[in-house]
Amino acid sequence: MLKGVHQKLDPQQTPAFFVRGASAFSRTVFFCALSVIAMAVDARLNYLSQFRQAFIGGLHPLEMIANAPSEWVRDAKKYFSAHNQLVQENYALKQQAFEHEVMLQRLSTIQAENNHLRSLLNGNIPIQPKAILGEISHTGRDPFTSVVVVNRGSQHNIKAGQAVVDSKGVIGQVTRVFPFSSEVTLITDKDLSIPIQIERNQLRAIAFGEGNNTLDIPFLPTNVDIKVGDKLVTSGIDGIYPAGLAVATVTKIQQNPESPFAKIISTPVAGVSNHLQLLLLELPQAKEAELVPEPAPVEKAVAETKTTTSSKTKVKHHAPR
Amino acid sequence: MRPVNLVAVYLSLLVALLCQLFPWVGQGIIFRPDFMLVVLLYWILRAPNLCSVGTAWFVGLLVDLATGSLLGQHALTFTFTAFIGLSYQRRLVLFNAWQLAGYVFALLVFERVAILLLKLFAGNDNPGWHYYWPIFTGMLLWQFMIFIFGSITRPKTK
Repeated sequence: MLKGVHQKLDPQQTPAFFVRGASAFSRTVFFCALSVIAMAVDARLNYLSQFRQAFIGGLHPLEMIANAPSEWVRDAKKYFSAHNQLVQENYALKQQAFEHEVMLQRLSTIQAENNHLRSLLNGNIPIQPKAILGEISHTGRDPFTSVVVVNRGSQHNIKAGQAVVDSKGVIGQVTRVFPFSSEVTLITDKDLSIPIQIERNQLRAIAFGEGNNTLDIPFLPTNVDIKVGDKLVTSGIDGIYPAGLAVATVTKIQQNPESPFAKIISTPVAGVSNHLQLLLLELPQAKEAELVPEPAPVEKAVAETKTTTSSKTKVKHHAPR
Repeated sequence: MRPVNLVAVYLSLLVALLCQLFPWVGQGIIFRPDFMLVVLLYWILRAPNLCSVGTAWFVGLLVDLATGSLLGQHALTFTFTAFIGLSYQRRLVLFNAWQLAGYVFALLVFERVAILLLKLFAGNDNPGWHYYWPIFTGMLLWQFMIFIFGSITRPKTK
C-alpha cells in the first residue's frame, strides 16, 4: 500500500513533512545582518553599555551559582588547614607587621617633613586616596583581552577609571562597571597605557601593554639612561594613578640598529595571578568631576553657559602607536 | 532516537551557560571548551525544528554578553556555524559515529577560525596554537552530550 502512495506523489516535489518556516538560508542572512549591526553599534556608538550592565546585573545570581563550587573548595581548604601551618603563618605575619610598623613610623615623620617642605615651596600637598578592598572573582572569559573581574561594582560606589593596585604594585584600571562586579583591565592589556617614571633618575615616559604579560616603553632613544633592573613607578601626571606606585621592572633592552628607538621590555611587579585581594583606589576629586556621565539636558545647557572650556577625558590613555 | 523535549534543550543550554560562567583560572581557560556551542550544535543536528538559526543567534549573543567581548561577534559565528550544520543535517542519519564526529570537528574548527578572523580584523594579535585547544576539549564534550542525550546517528541494526 505504501508503494501505491509513493507512486502517486509527484517525484519533483518533496512533500512538506518537516515544516521549517522560512528557509534556513534567509534566516541566516537575517540574523547575520542583525549581528553585524550589533557589532557596529557596540564598537562605534556607546548605546549598548547600559544594556550590557543590566544584563550582567541579571546574570549575577547565575554567576553566584557558578562560583559556588570553587568557593566551597576554598572554604573547605580553610577549614582543614593544619594548626601548625596557621601558627607559622601567624608568626610570619606578626613579624611582617612589626617591620611595617617600624617603616610606617619613619614614613609619617618623612611625610610630615615633606608636607612642610612643600608648603614652604608653595607646592600642593598630595592627597592620600581612599581605597576599597575587592576580591578577584574570575579572570576574563575572553582569551584576547587581559582583564580580571572584581566582586565590587556600582553598588559599592566603584566608577570606571579607578586605579587598581595590590600589595606589590599597580594592577590596572577599572574599565567597565556592573552592579555587583567590575572589570579591571590589566596594565599589560594592549589597549592600556600608564604614565611612568624611572625610579632611579626620575625620567618620565609612558608604558604600553604588550598583551603577553609585559610592558613596552616605546619612543625612547637608544642612548636613554635605562638599565635592566630599573624600577618603574607611576609618575602621577595623569591624575588617575597616584604618584610613586610600583609598576614594573625593566627586564630586557634591545637595540635595533635599524631603529632610532630602543625596545625596552618590562614585566609588571604586581602578582595578579598570586593574590585574590586587591585595592580599588578612589578617583581624585578633579578627575571624578570630569569622568561623571554627562548631566541631564537642562543642567548641561546651564553648565555649558558657565564653562565653555569643558573637555571630556577618555578613561583609557590611548596614544598613537 | 527518542523525541526531544523543548525543556531539555533550554535546560541543557542553561547548564552550558553556567559552565561558561564558572570561574576558570590559569590553565583551565586555555582548555575550556565552548560549552554553549557544543550543546547548541548537538540540538541543532538532533532537533532542528526546536533549535535552529535563531536560537544559535540568541545563544551567541548570550556568550558575547557573558564574556564581555564585542556584542554580535559570537552571534555572527554561531549563526553561520548553525547554518552550515543545518545544511547537511538531513544526511546525518546516514553517517556513522566517526563521520559524525569528523563533521562536528569541522564545525568547531570553522567557528574557532571565524572568531579568530573577526578578532584579527579588530586589531588583536594571533594568540598562538593553544587557541585551538577548545576544539579538542569540545569534541570530548560532544561525546559526553551523546552519552547523556543519545546518539544522532542511526542505531545499529542486527
